Amino acid sequence: MDQICIARLKVIFSSRSGEIRAVDEVDLSLNEGDSLCLIGESGCGKTVMGMAAIGLLPKNARVTGTISYKGQDLVAAPEQILRQIRGQEIAMVSQNSANSLNPVMKVGDQIAESLLIHRLCSRKEAEEKTLRLLDSLGFEDPGQAAGRYPHEFSGGMRERILIALALICNPRVIIADEPTAGLDAQVKTQILRLIRERVANGRTLFLITHDLGAAAFLSNRLAVMYAGELLETGTTKEVLARPLHPYTQGLLASLPSAGLHPIPGISPSPAHFPPGCRFSDRCPAVRDRCRKEHPVMGGAGGNRQVRCFLYD
Amino acid sequence: MSRKILFWIGIVVLCIYIGVALAAPLIAPEGPTAITGKPLQPPDSRHPFGTNQVGQDILAQLVFGARITLLYGFCSALLAVTISTSIGIVLGYYGGIVDEIACRIIDVVMPIPMFVLLIVLTTFFSPGIIQVSLLMGLMGSIYGIRIMRAQVLSVARTSFVEGARAIGASDLRIMSRHILPNVMPLVMVKFVSSSQQLLLMGVGLSFIGMWDTTTVDWGTMIQNAYSQGGLALGLWWWILPPGLAVIGVSLALAMIGYSFEDKFNPRVEVNRI
Repeated sequence: MDQICIARLKVIFSSRSGEIRAVDEVDLSLNEGDSLCLIGESGCGKTVMGMAAIGLLPKNARVTGTISYKGQDLVAAPEQILRQIRGQEIAMVSQNSANSLNPVMKVGDQIAESLLIHRLCSRKEAEEKTLRLLDSLGFEDPGQAAGRYPHEFSGGMRERILIALALICNPRVIIADEPTAGLDAQVKTQILRLIRERVANGRTLFLITHDLGAAAFLSNRLAVMYAGELLETGTTKEVLARPLHPYTQGLLASLPSAGLHPIPGISPSPAHFPPGCRFSDRCPAVRDRCRKEHPVMGGAGGNRQVRCFLYD
Repeated sequence: MSRKILFWIGIVVLCIYIGVALAAPLIAPEGPTAITGKPLQPPDSRHPFGTNQVGQDILAQLVFGARITLLYGFCSALLAVTISTSIGIVLGYYGGIVDEIACRIIDVVMPIPMFVLLIVLTTFFSPGIIQVSLLMGLMGSIYGIRIMRAQVLSVARTSFVEGARAIGASDLRIMSRHILPNVMPLVMVKFVSSSQQLLLMGVGLSFIGMWDTTTVDWGTMIQNAYSQGGLALGLWWWILPPGLAVIGVSLALAMIGYSFEDKFNPRVEVNRI
């Protein structure tokens, strides 16, 4: 049963150099309890997808298509409804940037605030819930931690606080955008484990990352994105074991463990996509047809889909 | 290290001033206008700072005058900072056409010298001290609005404010619980610098005689000393105490403001060891 169904989603920004098609006709669906990872390089549009799923795109974004959640179209929904949904039903764990936490507000207050704004419980109950949540996320002394300010914590602890902010109202869907960015290897593993044990179980996880390791660890379904479109989807195991699209193959080959073979060239500018397949400039298997015709997403056996003329 | 010392010197001096002003009735129980001695007496055991042209004790005038001078300095600064912070937060948070219009109005008003404008206004309306303090507060706020608004603009664009808005926090909640605490440091700095500026301006206005000249404050004391021949006769005990008092409090406030600078001005280099 679909929990979130994204259909023909387009997100276009207008700029001086023309239209920027950040997301160009993407179809994606998340079932309840799924862990879907959207993987792609910087600038492919995956963060815009995440923002679209929670309705937080900037005002100059033109969105067409539908994102249906529990029968409601989030694209067309009024801000009132979206505010109810955000935090309570769909929550986001973002990157640990300097601005994600209010520097002059105690961490406990910030976490409890979500509950108070949604008027889910009294102040006392909110405090208790905050302490219990902090305890379950690995804070040894939740009371002391709740009384501290963000700058008193290390990067890994701050990421846990961001996770607490997302979980406090017990949402059904979590969108995690690069949750382990900037963390050192050991802390990264801890956070990934934490997400798997405390965040993903019982909930639907929409993970957005460029880190194949995190994808393999956390997700059961994988969607590869490039230049605003999806190139390949399938279960994580299958896609990583038997990548179909040349781009996915190139991604896997560029891993240090596989020999660090980079894909030559750079991804196309979102204002000027080449005619035909957007990967054609860099594809080792490119043919004439690829440069002229734009491939569509087609089935490739089972639940797998791929956008490539090799599999037509 | 030196900034910390400056801060403490400034605070201590300021506390001394405030303490003396509060303790005025204890230091000079007769009050500032009582005639307690012969006119134009130099300092002696009875009058540590001598007497003025009618025989009033200058020390008594000094300590009672401190109350008025400090009061209008700090009160108008408080008013100025309250107004500029409130308007700055509203303009910076909501933006839009109101913000554009307000900024153009401020652009027009800012170049007008506050002192001259105050003289003109007081000439026509002859207000008392309280009204002038209110006016100083109102006019002083204009300059501050720009600065507060700039700071608010950067705070309003942060992820945590956007996040709070995204889950439905009311505008009032965001402005009071998120934006205001983040601009508080700037508010404190503005208060200190406004106090210094408005206090000096107030002394200047009272020196010119903008309000009731029978009020005893440092400005009128200096005016008195000047016009009644204190300077001409070389009676240093008459003009130095109020003059130095004004300089002292101004310096103290300047030192406190300077010591904040390294925290709030990104262009100031700091060597923290």
